[in-house]
Amino acid sequence: MNQPSMGRSVQSLERESRRSRRLRRIVTLSVGYVLLLLLALFMMGPFLWLLSVSLMPGKNVFAFPPPIFPTFVKLTNYTEVWGFINFPKYIGNTLIITALGLALNLALSLTTAYPLAKMRFKGRSLVFAILVSTMIIPSSTALVVHYLTIGWFGLIGSYIGVVLPSAVSVFNIFLMRQTFMGVPDDIRDSGKIDGASEVRIFLRLMVPMVKPGIAVILLLEFMAYWNNFLWPIVVLDDPGKYPLAAALTYLNGQFAYNFGWIAAGTILSVLPIILVFLFTQRYYMEGISGAVKG
Amino acid sequence: MRRRTLASDALPAWSFMAPGLLVIGVFVLFPILYSIPLALTNYSVLGETDFVGLDNFVKAFKDDSFIASLRNSMTYVIVVPVLQLLSILMAILVNSRIPGIKAFRAAYYIPVVTSMVAVALMWNWLLSQNGLVNYILLELGIIHEKIGWLSTSSTALYVLMFITLWKGLGYYMMLYLAGLQAIPADLYEAAIVDGASAAQRVRHITIPLLRPYVFFCSLISLMGAIRVFDEMFVLTNGGPGNATLTSSLYIYQEGITKLNYGYASALGLIVSVIVGVVSIVVFRVNQKGGVNPY
Repeated sequence: MNQPSMGRSVQSLERESRRSRRLRRIVTLSVGYVLLLLLALFMMGPFLWLLSVSLMPGKNVFAFPPPIFPTFVKLTNYTEVWGFINFPKYIGNTLIITALGLALNLALSLTTAYPLAKMRFKGRSLVFAILVSTMIIPSSTALVVHYLTIGWFGLIGSYIGVVLPSAVSVFNIFLMRQTFMGVPDDIRDSGKIDGASEVRIFLRLMVPMVKPGIAVILLLEFMAYWNNFLWPIVVLDDPGKYPLAAALTYLNGQFAYNFGWIAAGTILSVLPIILVFLFTQRYYMEGISGAVKG
Repeated sequence: MRRRTLASDALPAWSFMAPGLLVIGVFVLFPILYSIPLALTNYSVLGETDFVGLDNFVKAFKDDSFIASLRNSMTYVIVVPVLQLLSILMAILVNSRIPGIKAFRAAYYIPVVTSMVAVALMWNWLLSQNGLVNYILLELGIIHEKIGWLSTSSTALYVLMFITLWKGLGYYMMLYLAGLQAIPADLYEAAIVDGASAAQRVRHITIPLLRPYVFFCSLISLMGAIRVFDEMFVLTNGGPGNATLTSSLYIYQEGITKLNYGYASALGLIVSVIVGVVSIVVFRVNQKGGVNPY
């Protein structure tokens, strides 16, 4: 008598709980999406607003209430600022500095890290200890001493002077050393047995094995050089030689009244780096999270 | 045999490392070492250079601007716990496999790859008297009159912290995400089988296993906060008054703008000692906690 009703109630309870679980899942999912969207608005909002300002020539950003959504769309700000600022020149400057910086960083971190990871020699642990200690002792005056040093070398105003102080970083050496350590010793030994020279072993056998590390350094340094503005301003005496980020501070000072131009110029300057980031996201993320573990 | 290999590697090892170590020596080691004798002189672009003993240090501690800058740099540390806590929450939020999650992660990361110049420009407009932020806060009834966020002494430093926070969230989120994803899924499954609630799982699995990441991120975030420079350099130049003057900015003003190399070096040494002591303390505290970060 009791049995069937018991069974029914258990069954209905189960159905109930399954339904409530699904309901809970839907609720958590929607709460999750709402949070994600709000956060996206917070992080991307300033960019979207700047984009909207750049598309409305003649709109005053300081009008009250301020313009938020584009009520009309015109590209004149872009064409005008492109013609006026000589963007191709500044992009060219940025590319020269970035290419020079990347080449030096890559060459120097590869050659410095390789022996630290793969060769046996007296003083290896000493070199390593000194490198570690430079990471712990911060140099707050580095900028001043770098300026003096670059002056002694007679490199003020040159692109070599811009990239030389950051031509190799201890961080990159550590990252590269970590990658080299993952390459089996047999590879180097087999090269030696074949009678290959050290340089040949390095270039032909070892470097191809550490491509992931190379990719990470290229990406991180690309971002760093593209966005760098302080040191170029200090070293370069002629604003015509400025890279894009530095030129942007200059543009801001020169045309403070022309909001549309500044907005368009800023959008143009951040667009390349955002595109590079979006296309290389995967490697980039692996790189920065790998850096913590290393 | 072993001995011969040891000896035979020394020549190629040092030849490989020579260029990299030379650059490290000149631009990393030398600035640390050279700032000590430099700090004991009155070396500047004007006049003769004399040994002045500890005069620069005595002057520093009587220098109101320097004291104010130290106080501001220390105050800036407030941003660290907020930044870390919010980044952890964001990492937990984006640590799921729901559709579109990668686009959200990328969106949150875009402020990180954008140059500080562009970021400063956007927020400078948004935070001005007639800016969008005031408009929104007025509409929501949170404030009752327009506030010049960056031109008011009492708010300027905190507003810069907010910009640091906004630009840094994505970076630490990705690091913590890497930490969360390194936690084996079966730990959670086992906890669910044992009947642990969601809160208990966070308390007893997530938090302990994320600790090395929290330590690492807090340390780099702390170093960054004490030595913060870019935000005030592009937005306020230390003003209004000395409200946003930080020690790095003051060293820059003394060393690069006013070309007082000797005095700037002394200031830099004082800051280096403070940062060094703080990082040792953080390491000690962490060791007491019983977790080895490496």
